[in-house]
Amino acid sequence: MSGWFYKVAYPCEQAREFMYDYLDGQLPMFKQFRFQIHLNGCTECREYYLLYKKAAHAYEFRKENPPPSEFLEHTLDFLRKEGIVGDDDPATAPESNPVVQS
Amino acid sequence: MSGNGPSDAFEEINSEELLADLLSGGGTGQKAFARLVRITHNRFLGFIQRHLASPEECREVLQETYLAVHKGLPGFAGKSKLSTWVYSLAHHKICDRLADRDRRHQELTETHEGALTTEANQADRLAPVTAWDAAPDRVAARSAVETLIGKAIEALPPQARLVYQLRDVEDLSGEEAAVLMGITPENVRVQLHRARRQIVDWVQEKLSRVGTER
Repeated sequence: MSGWFYKVAYPCEQAREFMYDYLDGQLPMFKQFRFQIHLNGCTECREYYLLYKKAAHAYEFRKENPPPSEFLEHTLDFLRKEGIVGDDDPATAPESNPVVQS
Repeated sequence: MSGNGPSDAFEEINSEELLADLLSGGGTGQKAFARLVRITHNRFLGFIQRHLASPEECREVLQETYLAVHKGLPGFAGKSKLSTWVYSLAHHKICDRLADRDRRHQELTETHEGALTTEANQADRLAPVTAWDAAPDRVAARSAVETLIGKAIEALPPQARLVYQLRDVEDLSGEEAAVLMGITPENVRVQLHRARRQIVDWVQEKLSRVGTER
């Protein structure tokens, strides 16, 4: 889409205010439609939206930096000395634990 | 969209079974606690690491957090998820550590007038965290935008940084973040949107500056 039409749908600032609800699937259908019209026509807001979405999905790149396994063992050793944990079977204990670098 | 809560493995710590084992004490309790640590260790280390730069401090604060969890478990009323409660303990420990640092800085400043500046202290607190795997090739592989977002997070005001980290980095639900921060879910929503926009504005400004310099 080109020209001015998308601005009739929403001005840029209003479109940006809708990004949270749009991403969250909470924007009512008719607003969604107008929001999409704006996004299709407005390069600046489309770029803004892509960055907004990336920022909102920071948990996805949290997975990059697991610390060395000695860190976990160090903590467990400390807690063993405190009498808080006993010997356990690491094989049955899943490690979740993605870590993000901010 | 985030907000569906932490991963399934992490979610296991909110199971009634694990909580019952933790509260049972003795060998079962000790084993359950070890399991809790194995499941949550890196997640909470990451959370702490995003507030404190020194790896040594991060380890200490994490240990203090687990000690607080152990001490507080008998009184855990289950009004929130166990994971939310542990996050709140970790957050308190981080705040304690930062307050200690400010106090020490204050004492130092008073003793050696003018030796340290507030800016220096602030720079220390907000110093970019060194990645655990900061090998140059890994660092280079990270997308420039992700790196910029990381820096933008560091530049956020404390409250905005906390809400953003809880929701978009730790992936807590709006309700969990609200409980932890002592605000309403609607406030979380408003503050999170504002924080995201601050991040985007910051990143765009940096990107446009790079474009102008070329």
